[in-house]
Amino acid sequence: MKLNYRYTIAYAVITFFVLSIGFAIVYAALSRSVTQATIGKLEHLNAVVAAQLKSGRDYTGDPSRANVQISRASFDSTNHGSTAQIRDEWNAALQSEVSTIRLTTYAVVGGQPYRITSKAAVVEPSDVYLTGLVLVFAWTFVFLLALVVILSEVISWYILKPFNNTLRGIQLFQLSQKNTIDLHPSRTAEFNVLNEFLVRMTAQAQSDYQGLKEFSENASHELQTPIASIKAKIELLIDSELTEKQLLLLTGMHDELERLAKINQSLTLLAKLEHYESGPEVRTDLSQLVRTTEAAFADLAEMKGIRTVEQIADDVHVSFDESLAQLLLNNLFSNAIRHNLPGGEIQLQLSATELVLANTGHAPSAPVSELFGRFKKGNASLDSIGIGLAIVKRISELYGHRITYTYEDGWHRIRLAFAPEQT
Amino acid sequence: MKILLVEDHPELAKSIASYLTQEHYICEVAPTFDEAREKLALFTYDCVLLDIMLPDGNGISLLKLLRKDGVESSVIIISAQNALDFKLTGLSEGADDYITKPFPLPELHARIKAIMRRRSVHKNNIITFQDITADLESLECRVNGKLLNLTRKETNLLLYFINNKGRMLTRQAIAAHLWGDYTDNLDSVDFVYQHVKNLRKKITDAGGKDYISTVYGFGYKLNAADS
Repeated sequence: MKLNYRYTIAYAVITFFVLSIGFAIVYAALSRSVTQATIGKLEHLNAVVAAQLKSGRDYTGDPSRANVQISRASFDSTNHGSTAQIRDEWNAALQSEVSTIRLTTYAVVGGQPYRITSKAAVVEPSDVYLTGLVLVFAWTFVFLLALVVILSEVISWYILKPFNNTLRGIQLFQLSQKNTIDLHPSRTAEFNVLNEFLVRMTAQAQSDYQGLKEFSENASHELQTPIASIKAKIELLIDSELTEKQLLLLTGMHDELERLAKINQSLTLLAKLEHYESGPEVRTDLSQLVRTTEAAFADLAEMKGIRTVEQIADDVHVSFDESLAQLLLNNLFSNAIRHNLPGGEIQLQLSATELVLANTGHAPSAPVSELFGRFKKGNASLDSIGIGLAIVKRISELYGHRITYTYEDGWHRIRLAFAPEQT
Repeated sequence: MKILLVEDHPELAKSIASYLTQEHYICEVAPTFDEAREKLALFTYDCVLLDIMLPDGNGISLLKLLRKDGVESSVIIISAQNALDFKLTGLSEGADDYITKPFPLPELHARIKAIMRRRSVHKNNIITFQDITADLESLECRVNGKLLNLTRKETNLLLYFINNKGRMLTRQAIAAHLWGDYTDNLDSVDFVYQHVKNLRKKITDAGGKDYISTVYGFGYKLNAADS
C-alpha cells in the first residue's frame, strides 16, 4: 500500500471518530435546549395563570387555560417547588403519541395553595432533527475525505518526490555498474540523510564486489598458472628414464595436482556464477541440448552397463544461457553415471515445465537436502570433488528455476522445475 | 614450424618451450606484451600461443592488434580463464582455438597440429605409424591396408596416440582430449581404460602389433614396435 494511502486511511478514521463525537454532542445539546426552551415557556404560562388566580377573576375558557390544569394542593406540597416531567402521551390535537412536558408549579392564592400543571408537546430531535443532523455530518465527512484524498495525492507527490526518485535510483542500481548510484539532493533533511547513507553503502558494496570479483579472477589466474607449470614439469619428467618407484611417486603427484586444479576451477567457476548477471532474456532449446548431452555421455553409460530411458518433448525452450545449461546438464549426467550402480538405469524426462533426471544408486550417506552444499558428498568413497551440485543449484537459481533432489526406493531423482513464463 | 609463446610465467614458458622443441618446433618465448609485439612485427610465426593476462597488457588486445596489422599466424589462447568465460564473453573471438590452464602438454601439441593441418595449403591427409595408416579426412584407419572398424572416440584416441608417439600420455590427458568440455566434473579416467583396451584389441585382431604399452596407474604410451 502506498504511503499516502495509509495516511489518508488514518486520517479518515480519525475524522470519522471526531465527527461522531461532535454529532453526539450536537445532538445532546440540541435535545436539551429544545426541552429547556419549552420548560421556559411553560414557566411563563404558569406565572401568568398564577397571576390570573390572584386577580380573582374567572378566566375559565380563556385560551391561556387550554393546556393548564389547576387543583387545590395540600400545604406541605408547596415546599416541592416546581417539577418538570417528560413522557410520551396521546395528543388528541395532533392525533399521535407525542413527547409531552408537564410543568407543575405551586401558587398560594388567598391562603389556599394551588397546583398549576401546564403541558406542551415537544418535537424531540430524534424525530425530525436526527436525519438532518446525520446528513450534515455525513456530507461534512465525505467532503473532508475527498479533500484529504486529493490533497494527499498532491502533497505527497510534491513532498515525496525526492523519496520516489531515490527509490527509482535504488531499483536501477546494479552492483556491477561502473558509476555510483544516481540520487538527487532534496530539501528534506531526512531524505538527504537517507541518500547520503545509500550513496555510502552502495559505494562500499560496489568496492567490495569489485574486490571480490578481482580476487576470484586473480586467484584463478595466479593459481592455475603455477599448477600448469608443475604439471608440465611432471609430464616432461615422466618422459625421461625413471624407475618404477619414481614413476609411481610422480603419478601420485600428478593425480593430486589434477584434483587441485579441478577444485580450483570449480571454486572460481562458482565464484564467477555468484557474481554472474544473466543478460537480457536468453532462451535455450533444451530438447536439442539434452539429446546431444545424452549422446555425448552414451559411451560412458554404455561402458558401465547403464540403460537410459528417455522421454524428451520437442521444442522446449527455457530461459538459460546455452553454455550454462550445458554445464548444468554435464554435471547432472556425470553425476547420474558416476553414482549409478553397474547395470543400473537412468530415467530422463523433459517436458515443457520440468526436467527430471533419475538414476539408480546407493542411498546417500548425508541428508539429501545438504547435497547442494559445497564439498558435500553423498558417498565419501567416490573420488569426486563434491561441488557439482552446488554449481547446478547456482545456475538454476540464476534463472529462477527450482531444483529439488529426492531419494526414494533406490532412485535418486533430480527435478528441475522451470520458472513460469514471464509475459 | 615456428611458434611464438607469449607467457609471463617463466617456469611454465620454459616447460612448454622445452616440450615443443622436443616435438621439433622452433619455439620462441616472449614474456611481455611489448616484446611479443616487437617479435611479431619483426618475424613471421606459424602459430602464436597467447596468454591473456600479461604484466604489461592484455593478450586479447594483442590479438586484436595482430589481426588489425594483418598478421596471419594461427593463434591459440592459453589462459587460466575458465572455458565458460570464453563462451559467455566471446573471449576467444579472433583466435583459432583456446586451451585452459592447466592443460596436458600432449593436448597442446594435438591442438597445434590440428590447426596447422587446417591451415596448410597442400594437405597431407594421411598419417602413418609403422603399419598403421590414418586418413584425417575420411577418418579411416587401416592396419596393413586392412580397414579397422573403430568408433569415433577410438579413432580420435588412435590419432592422439600417433601424434604423440613415444610419449607418455596420462589418463587425464586422454580423457580431456576425448571428452573435452564434458570431463569438467567427470572421473572419466576409468573409461579411458576401456577405450584403450578396445582399441588395442581391434588393432591386434586386424593383425597389427600391439604398440601401446601401459604404465600402471599412470597412463599409456605408443612405442615403436622394435624399441
